[in-house]
Amino acid sequence: MKKLLLANTAIALLATAAAADVTVGNPMAMTGPIPDLVAPMAKAVDLAAAHINEQGGMFAGGEMFKVERADSACDPTAAVDAVTKLINVSNVAGIIGPVCSGATIAQAESVSMPAGVVTLSVSASSPAISTMEDGTDLVFRTAASDAYQGVALADLAIANGITEIAVSYANDDYNAAIAGVFSEAFVAAGGTVTANEAHEPSKASYRSEVATLGATSDNLALFAYYGSGGITLMRNALETAAFDTFIGADGMLSDEVIEQIGAENLGSTTFTTSASDASTSAFGAWKALADAADVPASDPFVPNSYDATFLMALAIEAAGSADRDGIAASLRAVATAPGEIILPGEWAKAKAILAAGGEINYEGAAGNQDFDGNGDVAGEFSKSTVVDGAWAAELIK
Amino acid sequence: MWDAFGFEFVNFYLIPGLVLGCIYALGAIGITLTFGILRFANFAHGELMMMGAYLTWTIMAIITAVIGITVHPLIAAIPASIVVIYLFFWTDKFFYKPFRKADTIKVVMASFGMMLILRSAVQVIWGPNQLTFVPGIAKPNAGLMSWTDDIGAILLIPNKHLLIFAGTIVFVVVLSYILNRTRIGKAMRAVSDSPDLAHVTGIDVDQVIRATWIVGGVCALAAGVFLAMDIQLLETTMGFRMLLPMFAAAILGGIGKPYGAVAGGLIIGLAEELSAYPWIGTEPLLSPGYKTGVAFAIMVVMLILRPQGLFKGRSF
Repeated sequence: MKKLLLANTAIALLATAAAADVTVGNPMAMTGPIPDLVAPMAKAVDLAAAHINEQGGMFAGGEMFKVERADSACDPTAAVDAVTKLINVSNVAGIIGPVCSGATIAQAESVSMPAGVVTLSVSASSPAISTMEDGTDLVFRTAASDAYQGVALADLAIANGITEIAVSYANDDYNAAIAGVFSEAFVAAGGTVTANEAHEPSKASYRSEVATLGATSDNLALFAYYGSGGITLMRNALETAAFDTFIGADGMLSDEVIEQIGAENLGSTTFTTSASDASTSAFGAWKALADAADVPASDPFVPNSYDATFLMALAIEAAGSADRDGIAASLRAVATAPGEIILPGEWAKAKAILAAGGEINYEGAAGNQDFDGNGDVAGEFSKSTVVDGAWAAELIK
Repeated sequence: MWDAFGFEFVNFYLIPGLVLGCIYALGAIGITLTFGILRFANFAHGELMMMGAYLTWTIMAIITAVIGITVHPLIAAIPASIVVIYLFFWTDKFFYKPFRKADTIKVVMASFGMMLILRSAVQVIWGPNQLTFVPGIAKPNAGLMSWTDDIGAILLIPNKHLLIFAGTIVFVVVLSYILNRTRIGKAMRAVSDSPDLAHVTGIDVDQVIRATWIVGGVCALAAGVFLAMDIQLLETTMGFRMLLPMFAAAILGGIGKPYGAVAGGLIIGLAEELSAYPWIGTEPLLSPGYKTGVAFAIMVVMLILRPQGLFKGRSF
């Protein structure tokens, strides 16, 4: 009896804690192979939360919108641990993140989907995420699938006059998937893939990999994370003069690459990434807010991170409670037409419309963020090359 | 250039395999000595390697900031080695010594905990981002290249690899002198063979343990610095990634046998790289994605067929 009482008190306490604040979980790859890319993304998440709380917070009572951050380390095991804790111990309403595709798939399959919690990833772009759900509608993302980026990259390679290329990809969900899409699109566009090999991330040396591939072509399509072998592989390729032209995707697009390898060695290197169309009014609104808060507005996945956080908060607000069940349907409602257009930062306006029973349609910093049947969004891509010792991005039309 | 005799095999498979083998060998020496003398598998060894490389980087950065000259990592490693040796003493005093008379599993778990503590400490102090150890790319040594070209072979070896080879040879020679000619070295071997017998013959076991940490610490630091010189960057899991191949090397050579560790390290390093050579036809014999598996396959086969290792070490 005593135990039961105690348990009841505990549940009551938990319930009051939940009523006072709305907490969402935010697993991000703070450590691991890409901390450089993730740091500004985490800042964007915090900025969105700050805007929400400044402009009246959640629900009629103005409750705090709290982001509980955890480290998913870009690693499936670490992500499962982090999200298990967020869902079971911190009792979060939804999950914003994780960053990497492998981590997102692992945590969704083993933790968040069984628990019925919505995952809204800020940057996971593997095509495998589109088709992972069977009958549920719980996994969303604010970054475009690599099914599009791989094709954009292949078109770019052809446009740059590359007709034959060797492909090397790190053996994980994200890199293997985009390498597959790229190879298929490149061959379909008339190019020849001379060799296509997986490499294991995080090795001290890739000289034998580079030698095996280097005998076949001077061009390398490299799909890896910069922090778990990508830089070493590029360095080995340059040292042995096996390759001179490199193309690749977001995982390699970091200042770290320039600092480590040297701008003088990166003359014919092009990496693509998911980008935002800077000409939209939504991006303009975001840029003003980001500049004021000293957040790099155009860095990879930074606007996507802001959008994800804002959308999650809007979905919870529209659902009327932090109850996990209603969030997925509500997320679709606030992100798509019909409804009054809401731009980044316009929390008070959205809150007023929702309170009056109206409908809203969030247009995000990174794109219009209209979820399709798989919870995916369309996206645009940019190509980055080294100009004057720094990455210069240009939108691919 | 690609047509020179054995060009691809020597430059892209054999030499990288030897470089990796040297790093494994130096790390495995510390592991095998700890295993032999203190009788436990020290999981924190890889992290101490990593920490040594970070300390070396810090000392280089301080010297550059204060005097304005860039010192070579091998010079900066000398003051760093003192810090690393004290780290070894400190971890021993607070985390391993209390468990010395307890079951081995307790001290193994303590070392596992130490591994996580050290890695997190590095992430707190230096941050989770990669650090640049030496920027740019290392071109092959031009003198060696033209000289070997004259005799029709073409060797592409950057200076950093020549230094790693030379450094490893110096370390192994000095180590063999210490173990075979000095009093403390003989005492270390005696304790490794039988601690109780060594104790009753009047050997100061505590002194031997300190000597073990010093030798293991210096070798770990050298392995960490050589690894950082090779990959030219620092990141917090670099030591951990080397740990399992180093264990494989120690087991292959025979637990408690420093020469075995050297041989084991070279064999594991070469086996990993050479397994990807197109021995048959033009395709790699084994996809390079499975290189690490080779080290473990060797270790497992060795444990089944000859658990005492190549050099007749202790078997468990």
